[in-house]
Amino acid sequence: MAAQPRPIHAEQTSYLEGGGIYGWLTTIDHKRIAVLYGVTAVFFMALGGFEAMAVRTQLMYPNNHFLSAQTYNQFFTTHGLTMIFLVIMPLETGFFGNFLIPLQIGARDVAFPRLNALSYWIFLFGAITLNLGWLYGGLPNGGWFGYANLTERYYSPGPNIDFFDLGLLVLGVSSVMSALNFFVTIINMRAPGMTFFRMPLFIWSILVTVILILLAFPSLTVGLIFLFMDRYFDTHYYRVIAGATPILWQHLFWIFGHPEVYIMILPAFGLISEVIPVFSGKPLFGYPMMVYAIIAIAFLSYGVWGHHMFATGMGPVADMTFSVTSLLIAIPTGIKIFNWLFTVWGGRLRFTTAYLFALAFVIQFTIGGLSGMMHASPPIDLEQTDSYIIVAHFHYVLGLGALFAILAGFYFYWPKVTGRMLSETLGKWHFWLAVWSFNATFFPMHFLGELGMPRRIYTYAPHMGWDFWNKWETWNAYIIALSFIPLLLNIYWSLTNGERATEDPWDARTLEWSVPTPPPIYNFAEVPTVTARDAFWVAKYGSVEASGLTQSAPAIAPALVDVSKIHIPAPSLYPLLMGLGIFGMALGMLIGWYRVIFTAMALLVFSAIAMAFEYPNWGEENPHAVAESFLGLDSRKVGMWSFIGSETVFFACLISTYMVYKSRSLGVYDAGILNIPLTSFSTFVLLTSSLLMVLALAAFQRDDHKWGTIWLIGTALFGCIFLGGQVYEFGDFWLEHGMVFNANLFSQCFYTLVGFHGFHVFIGVVWLLVMAFAGIFGKLNAKRSLAVEICGLYWHFVDIVWVVIFVLVYLMRTVKGA
Amino acid sequence: MSESAVEHVTAPAHHAAAESHHPTAVQYLVVAGILTVLTVCEIGVYYIPALQSVLVPLLLILSAGKFYLVAAYYMHLHFDSRIFSGLFFFPLTLAALILISLTLLLGFLAHHPGP
Repeated sequence: MAAQPRPIHAEQTSYLEGGGIYGWLTTIDHKRIAVLYGVTAVFFMALGGFEAMAVRTQLMYPNNHFLSAQTYNQFFTTHGLTMIFLVIMPLETGFFGNFLIPLQIGARDVAFPRLNALSYWIFLFGAITLNLGWLYGGLPNGGWFGYANLTERYYSPGPNIDFFDLGLLVLGVSSVMSALNFFVTIINMRAPGMTFFRMPLFIWSILVTVILILLAFPSLTVGLIFLFMDRYFDTHYYRVIAGATPILWQHLFWIFGHPEVYIMILPAFGLISEVIPVFSGKPLFGYPMMVYAIIAIAFLSYGVWGHHMFATGMGPVADMTFSVTSLLIAIPTGIKIFNWLFTVWGGRLRFTTAYLFALAFVIQFTIGGLSGMMHASPPIDLEQTDSYIIVAHFHYVLGLGALFAILAGFYFYWPKVTGRMLSETLGKWHFWLAVWSFNATFFPMHFLGELGMPRRIYTYAPHMGWDFWNKWETWNAYIIALSFIPLLLNIYWSLTNGERATEDPWDARTLEWSVPTPPPIYNFAEVPTVTARDAFWVAKYGSVEASGLTQSAPAIAPALVDVSKIHIPAPSLYPLLMGLGIFGMALGMLIGWYRVIFTAMALLVFSAIAMAFEYPNWGEENPHAVAESFLGLDSRKVGMWSFIGSETVFFACLISTYMVYKSRSLGVYDAGILNIPLTSFSTFVLLTSSLLMVLALAAFQRDDHKWGTIWLIGTALFGCIFLGGQVYEFGDFWLEHGMVFNANLFSQCFYTLVGFHGFHVFIGVVWLLVMAFAGIFGKLNAKRSLAVEICGLYWHFVDIVWVVIFVLVYLMRTVKGA
Repeated sequence: MSESAVEHVTAPAHHAAAESHHPTAVQYLVVAGILTVLTVCEIGVYYIPALQSVLVPLLLILSAGKFYLVAAYYMHLHFDSRIFSGLFFFPLTLAALILISLTLLLGFLAHHPGP
């Protein structure tokens, strides 16, 4: 089971070489994982594009029946889900993020390479889950936002919404894992001298994006869990008849959904900010303001979700608040647009394909942003909501915005990824066809919206004034599809006959262009020391402001180091097996076959334990995480704190729901049933377990292995007593009082909240027992005490969540809910 | 933030040293004692009829004290790098805002929409 660091062969110069198919399946190299994300996303882009073409063909003529209404609903829903979760996000963070983050910050890989591979496999299986409807039962059909209560089993009896629910849950796990990994990498693994304000803007954009993912996805997860319970356990989270409100889903969805818009657009900003300075021959104008603008946009993005809900009648106070915060976002966004323009202004412009796509992005995103401003005003929004103006708006932001930025990044980084140049002639054909067809398709949608055409409409009667523009848009949508033919030809031509790319074909500014093309598996033979922003440019020309003189070879001399000494973590099959386990569980849930669920769960647990002990020096694994740490902090500890931060939002959403639904609950059961004496005892038990945990840590830190192990076992034992109390309490409510899980809103919220906490305690007990066994077998000592400390952080977090639950749920049981 | 101002942060020893000053076993026991007293107070407040009118603020203050003690001493935020405090308290603030917003939007404002 133990794997040794992989030897590097002197002739192995490119990350693309060697390993065969098994090498790709077991890879944990960030560049190969980037390629896997890229290829997968391109496949789904073709699928999503096909769905879009079918939708447009259906709308080409009035009273058209090219698709059935049911198929139309499935196609427009899956087109949205595919483009958001399986194309734009994986291309921006999965492909560009994975490929560029270590190269731009001067690192050899991400902080947790195996977690990175696991993220990809979970993403792939989540994508498959979302698309299982192609094979059985039909695709998701409730819109990408899946509004309740149309998603309830009563209204959507087929498996369509189950694919939506479980697919997004699985994809969410992947996104959070990736985000955590990238966050730790950027915070902790920068090269010496790479201070925050020397980081390339793409790194800033990814840093802020992953913070958004970590703190926004838990809200969606909670909403999806409620939906899952409604559909599988007959609870009533979104059922009015039980006193619930379907608006809860909208809040939980849009608390995630609006930051999600920035999750898709901020990396696009980052890519553009890399491309524009290089081809303008100038450094990025107003770099610090660009950074502050990204941070401001992200911060404000959490306070604007209500502008998606003006039509629900939130009242003037809420409307005004969300309107003001939404309008405020225009300020930092405007700063960015002007700074890109000032970067272009007075520059020595080189109109490459990448640059053209970047410039088109600036113009088109501005158009999309301006129409977005209109929707920040409640009266205007009320007229435009659910009309084709909204379709025009978000396609300008994401299609003509994010996708154009991705294409700019594609043309810019293709030589670095593959080692081959693309044809500029074919690239420009692609660009002009794309600019024409995208604008010709989506701009007239503003007109259709003003003419009253609703979005998501299956077909329409003639003489509504919509015929011409629908026909026009459909023909131009076909040209969008055709516009990708030059791109495909270009890729083929490049891979077969393309000119070999040098390290720095564009005379670029940042570190990724200083390494060989394609990069070697270890990225940097010698970890660079950064002395300024635009580090590579400064190394070539002396200062950030200097004009590039030539397109000569890099001035940085290759380091004379023995690359065979560089530590490269060994490949691992376990991430793929764990991904399969998660997929099997989702699949088993969908087909209701419990044997599949338990087999998959066993595979997951086996793979997780095997992966934990895969490296011989576990507990000290990942040496570059410590040795090359920018801040001197252990990456695992930074990762655990990031995870705890994300979990905090998860529990906040659960507690909020409990607080809201407590007073709405109908039926006989309410908080009066709660057993305060028993729970007070449990609270003392859990608090005492936390004491034992810190005593265990203190013992291991002073190398007292015996007492450390005893305290660990004690902590686990107290955790078991707490769980026993919870089991007794649940059993008493269920069997003695008849308060089943879905009895009413109170019962389901109580069981869900306290049950999820109990599940966290259970995971903690398992973790503690594993640590205790490690202690018994002498694997824990002062040097490895950090492993105990990280386990302890999780345990204490579970403790403080209980501190909150004990007060809000139990001791305030007589206080009326919200 | 000037570039030179953040240069010194790159020294790994700075934070490594900060992490090494964890509390001793005796300090942990003192914290446990205070946590026990605070929990007893919480339960006492719940059972004393005269305090029912101030039940909510009292319980919130007591639980906030417990929360702080566990986070600061058991989770070492009081001793560790400030980065960890940021990683915890920023999401915590956001979580609190979400909790307040949702209870207002789905509770109070739903029943009192305003003029």
